[in-house]
This record gives sequence, structure tokens and C-alpha cells, in this order.
Amino acid sequence: MKLRKELWFGFSLIALIMIPVIVFTPWTHLTNGNLGLLMLALICVCIMFGFPTAFTLMGMGVMFGWLYYRSVDPALANRQVLDLFVQRTYGVMSNDVLIAIPLFLFMGYLVERAKLIDRLFHSLHLATARVPGALAVATIVTCSIFATATGIVGACVTLMGLLALPAMLKAGYNIKVAAGAITAGGCLGILIPPSVLLIVYGAVAGVSVVQLYAGAFLPGFMLAGLYIGYIIILAKLRPDLMPPLKASERHVELPAFAKALAPQGSNAFTGLVRSLVSGSDARVARRTALGQLLVSLLPALFVVTLLGVTWRVATAPEVVNSTAGLIEAGGLIAAPASERELNTGLIGGTEPEEKDAGISEPPADASKAAAPDAKPAAAASIAVAGERLPTPTWMWITIAVGMAILAVIYALWSWVRLEVFRMLLTSFFPLALLILAVLGSIVFGLSTPSEAAAIGAFGGFILAGAYRFIEHARQDRKGGVGGSAWKTVAELGTILKESSFLTAKTSAMVCWLFVGSGIFSAAFALLGGQEVIEKWVLSLDMTPVQFMILAQCIIFILGWPLEWTEIIIIFMPIFLPLLPHFHIDPLFFGLLVALNLQTAFLSPPVAMAAFYLKGVSPPHVTLNQIFAGMMPFMGIQVIALALLYAFPDIGLWLPRVLYK
Amino acid sequence: MQKYLLFVDKVSTTVGQAFSFLIIVLTLHVSWEVFSRYVLDSPRAWAFDVMIMLYGTLFMMAGAYTLAQNSHVRGDVIYGFFSPRAQAILDLTLYLLFFVPGVTALVWAGYTFASESWAINEHSNITSEGPPVYPFKTVIPVAGALLLVQGIVEMIRCVICIKNGEWPSRKEDIREVDVDKLKEMVHVKDGDIEKLDKFVLRQEAGK
Repeated sequence: MKLRKELWFGFSLIALIMIPVIVFTPWTHLTNGNLGLLMLALICVCIMFGFPTAFTLMGMGVMFGWLYYRSVDPALANRQVLDLFVQRTYGVMSNDVLIAIPLFLFMGYLVERAKLIDRLFHSLHLATARVPGALAVATIVTCSIFATATGIVGACVTLMGLLALPAMLKAGYNIKVAAGAITAGGCLGILIPPSVLLIVYGAVAGVSVVQLYAGAFLPGFMLAGLYIGYIIILAKLRPDLMPPLKASERHVELPAFAKALAPQGSNAFTGLVRSLVSGSDARVARRTALGQLLVSLLPALFVVTLLGVTWRVATAPEVVNSTAGLIEAGGLIAAPASERELNTGLIGGTEPEEKDAGISEPPADASKAAAPDAKPAAAASIAVAGERLPTPTWMWITIAVGMAILAVIYALWSWVRLEVFRMLLTSFFPLALLILAVLGSIVFGLSTPSEAAAIGAFGGFILAGAYRFIEHARQDRKGGVGGSAWKTVAELGTILKESSFLTAKTSAMVCWLFVGSGIFSAAFALLGGQEVIEKWVLSLDMTPVQFMILAQCIIFILGWPLEWTEIIIIFMPIFLPLLPHFHIDPLFFGLLVALNLQTAFLSPPVAMAAFYLKGVSPPHVTLNQIFAGMMPFMGIQVIALALLYAFPDIGLWLPRVLYK
Repeated sequence: MQKYLLFVDKVSTTVGQAFSFLIIVLTLHVSWEVFSRYVLDSPRAWAFDVMIMLYGTLFMMAGAYTLAQNSHVRGDVIYGFFSPRAQAILDLTLYLLFFVPGVTALVWAGYTFASESWAINEHSNITSEGPPVYPFKTVIPVAGALLLVQGIVEMIRCVICIKNGEWPSRKEDIREVDVDKLKEMVHVKDGDIEKLDKFVLRQEAGK
């Protein structure tokens, strides 16, 4: 019989595990510790045989648990193992960490069915049009935000394969680069919170999910940032791999009002103000102009609010006993729009000359915008000076930087950018807001992860409803609002049904694995397998660094044949008791594991992401091309792992600041 | 035979799907609880108990459904490369070796566990006047029994497969990554993907 090479690979793995076990087990006088090790070896082999892992664990746990109890007291063995099993099961059923899993899954399925990904990709593509490697960068950003909100790697990679791959191929991008960007981006959802992986790790390791989320935040975005940096540098160095976009691919269709106002000046902000002030412009309705002006003011509102909040926090100790001070501090946040303009104008008048040097827009525009405001601005700053609270220097620098950014934004606020911003407003920002609201309420301690997940699921439902309604309303203008609303309700029914079914299946998959591993790990601990391993590892006399590297290598190798759920639920309990010996923070270990398992998704021969992409790519794109494209991104992941290891503060700084 | 197998599938699926709607109840329940705590300032004492029970019931009762849809996680190292007959032999052995003892133990232990809870009319002790716990504990034997029945059906499927050399069919259910649906979602047709091939070929030729 001719065996395929994959079978050879599998069989040799099994042999590799079983032969030492068979040789070294003292079959004639088995101790309980030996039984424990035998159990561990058998589970590795049985998992590879492809039987549903939850039941393998269950059966094996019950059997070996019974063997242990029989060695203690044969009469009570049945009773005791059954009690243990049901207690463990009930423990999983009433676990208050795991509740978050179905809720986050539900949120993910609902967000996916809002069908906003093509809008998201399109608007990000236009927004990044001038960046080198624009489409690949847009792909990574789309993936990271979409995968973060949904957490479904398969769907994310497939959808991007359908949307981004055609766009990139048409633009002449190298196949490998395109495939690499899609697969690497799609896997980010595993790491960036709110991810299910971190909840599962938290439940297994007894680490607070809140801290894990706070910790994984920066490494996740660092990884996305490294991907984007790599793409931009590569596109600069090798333009043949990622040619710049043609004008037709960058073209943004302007709406009617913008077309009407555009000839008078390229800056949308001044154009809208002028149109409103003159009022005589018949081509654009006042309402439209006012609405667009409000949209244009949103970035200013955001920056000023952010600065206001920061300022309040920064000066909080001084005003803690003075209610008046608090009100004043709040007053800035709620300052009338006019004052915000002034602040913008103040910096805008002094700085744009240097800032704008490298930018194509004429700087005259910016100073023109700022000039009329310059005088009142001075008055405003005097007024502020009179009642100023002690403000640290860094705060002034932050304010200056914030204002400078705003000035640059408004100096460059062309009609095209206004339109792109409006597109982002309907695709990127709602999703980002949902994620940030969920994460924010968890990380700042307003709600538990499960509560935030429920709110997130509710938000996802509203998001899906809103997007489906907009879509229906756009399709049948004649049908009126009632018709579209009715269609939306009907569709929402289907969406809810599908999402519920998928949630039930996926959470049953994960939680039954917990039921199985509950009895399994209990039996393993009873037999003393844990002690044997601990003694053995300690006898190796490793330094903490060596241990960390060894542990990460083992997890990386386990990532080839196994799914992350199995690795964390079955194998983490073996590593975790060893951590205190080496003075390793389980939180930090969890972050490394999460980053590491991401790598496993991208490493051949079983990289799921590659197969999902292959499923929707043109016939002549080969798996080898996709694998080759993934390699550099895998390298970046290893660099990120090393960075996190070398500078643990990347992950531990945020939890420390927030919770200590 | 196939008719009976599909009937059991249908029962497991219907039960699982019916209980899957608990996720909507759970979402609304928790959302309302957060709202009433922060905005109305009137948290409900039993909220946490109910939350736990909704979640526990949801995933336990979906166990048989997940098995009927063959969605429990499998370690796919060599399994996928076997012929269907070899797969069936392997599966049947492991069903008898692990599944039957494991799940029978679950039903048995769950039965005593739940009956003791009924006998003492157990209430949750998280709060002073907690809701009754015995219905929740009853979920364990019920879910286990459903799973066991579904497991027997799966074993019969294995036997059929060993005889015929191919897996008997199942009813299609919604899948997590349904490529056709995703294609429809972003308005991509198979023809469009075919057309893209010319760009790939051009790039190959350019090398």
C-alpha cells in the first residue's frame, strides 16, 4: 500500500510518541505516575486519530480516574469517579468566565451578517490610496478591524479573498504579497481583543480576562503595525511588486453639492463656511451645507473631547476637593463650537508653514482659513489663562500636538477627503466604536467581560439592523420607508436564527471540550502525572529563559496538528503549574501563547488560512504561492514574539497602569 | 434505516436549535441587567443565577446537535487522508472505547446528581433567596441521554460506511464558513473569479 506523505508524517509523529512510552514504561510494576504519563501519551495519539476530542477526553478521564480510585479503595471507585465527573461538568456549566464565549460568538456572527465588509474595504482603500502598497495596507486594516469584531478567521479570510484579492490582482500586485496580506490580516482576530482565545486561556489559567484583554491590546496592534510597516517599506523598495494605484482606481465620485462648490476652492471646510455665510448660493441648500459642515467638524470634536478628558485626568489631583474646578474642567469639554474653531485657528495660523512643506496643498489655503480667527483666539487664551489650573508641561505639549494635527487635517480637508471621511463614517467608525465600547467598558472596569459581551451582541444586532435597513432603503427608493423596514425585519429574523444556531454549535464545541478536559485533567492530577512532569522539568535545571523558549517551541509544534482550543484546554494545564517555579507571570505567558498560536495559523502544512484563501482564489493561484506569501508575515510574527519577550512592558504596561 | 437515522438527527437538531435561541434571551437578559443597574439603579438579585443557567443549558443541550452536524472539534492530522472505510473503522472503535463509557458515565452520574437536588429541593446559594437549581442540574442527564442516542446513530453510520465504503448522507445545516453565501454577500460570481485568472497568468508569463 502506497501511503501519502501526509500519512507518513502523521504515523511518524505517533510512533515518535508511542515508542519511547512503550520502551520506558515499566509494564510489570506500574505506578500511578506512570499511568498518568501513559494517559498523556495516549491522548496525544488519540487526538491525532481524528475522533471528536471532547469525547476522547471524557472516556479516557473516566477510565483513568476509575483506575486511580480503584488503587485507593476498589469498593468506592465507581461512586467516586462518577461524583468527580459530574462535579467537574457542573463546574463548567456554572463557570462565570466562559459565559462570555457564546456572547462574543453571537456578536461576531451578527456583525458578520451586517454585510458591511465591502463598504469597509472600499472606503479604506480610498482612504489609503496615496500610501505605498495601498491595497495591501487597506486589506490589513480591514482584516484587523473585521476579524476583531467577528473573531471568525475562516469567514474573514474568505471574504477578503473575494474582495481584496481581485482588487489587488487587477492593480498588478504580486500574487504572493496579496495572499500574504490577506491570510496574515485574517488571523489577527485571534489575538486582538475581544478574542475568544483569551477568554479560554483566562478560564484555564485562572487569569483575569480583563487583564488579558488590556495586555493583548498593544501587542495586537503592534503586530498589525509591523505588518503595515513591512508592506509600506516593501512597496517603496520594490514598486514592481505593488505598483501605485492608477488615477482611475483612486477616483472618488463626488456628490452633487461638492461638485457645485468645488470650483470655488479646493478646501471643503472653507468652501462650506463660505457657502453658509454668503447664503446666496442657490446651487447648494443651506441644510446640506450645514450638515456637511457638522460632519467636517467631527474630527475637531473628537480631538478636543479627547484633550479635554486627558486634561481633566491630568489635573484631577489638584481639583479633587474643589467642585468649582471640576465644573470648569468639564466646561472645556462642553465648550461652544466657536471656541473650538478658535483653538484650531490659533495653531493653524502659526504652524502650517513648516508642517505643510511636504504636502501638495498650497499652504496659503491654511493661513487664509486661520487668518480671520487669529484675533479672537488671542482673547480666548487670555480668558483661559485667568482661571487656569496647574497643568503639567506634557499636557501643553499634548494640546499643542493635538491642535497641530487638527490644523493639518483642516488644511488638507479637500472635497475628496470629505467624501472619503463620510464613507469611513458609515463603515469604519461604527465598527471601531462598537469594539472600543466593548473593550473600554471591560478594561476600565465598568462591566465584566460577559456583560460587555452581551452589550456587544446587542450592539451587533443594532448594527446589522441599521446596515440592512440602509441597504434596503437604497435598493428600493420607491417602496418607501415602510417597505424597507418590513424587509429589514424579515431579514433580521433570518440573521438572528442563523447566528443563534452557529453560536450554539460553536459554543457547544468549545464548552464540551471543557467538560471532557475537566475530568481528564482531574484524573491526570490524581494519578500524579503532573508531579512526574514537574519533577522532570525541574531536574533539567533550566533557566527561566530556556524554559520559556522550550515552552513556546512545544506550543508552536503542537499548533501544527491541533486547533488552538485543544492546545489551550488540554495542554495549558500542564504548563501552568510550572510557571511559578520559573517566576513567570501567567498573564505574560498567556500573551506569548496567544501571539504564538497566531503563528501556528500561518505555518504550513496545516495553515487553515491558506486553505480558506485557496478555496476562493482563481484556479492558477497555487497553494505554494500562498504559503510563500505567508512566510514573511510569519517571520514578522516571530519578530513580534521576540520583541514581546525582550520588552514584556509592551504587554504588561497597560494592565499595570490600569489595575495597580 | 437511513430514515430512522435522519429522524434522530432531526430530533437532536430541533432540540439544539430550539435551545440555541437562549442566546437571544441571554443577550437581552444581561443587557437589561446592565441597563437597570447603571441607569435605573435597581439590580436584580437573581440575575447572575439566571445568566449562568441560560449559558449552561444553551451549550449542554446543543451537544447532540453539534454531534449530529459533525461539528465537534477533531484533530485532523491523518484522519482526513484515510479512505471513508478506514475512517469508519477508526471512529467505531473509538466510539465504543471512549464515547460510550464516557457519556454513559455522564448520564448515570448526572441522574444521581439531579435526583439528589430534586430530593432536597435545592436552591441557589449565591444570593439569600436564590432560584431553584434542580431544573438546571437535570439538564446534565437529559443532554447526556440525547448525546448518547445521537452517538448510537453515529455508530450505526459507521457500520453502514464500513459496509458500503462511503459515508451515509446527512442533512445540510448552516455552516460557519459557507463560501457560496459569502460570495453572494459580496456579490462575487464564480465567473468573476475565473476572469481573474488572466491576471494571474499574465504575472506568471512576466517572470
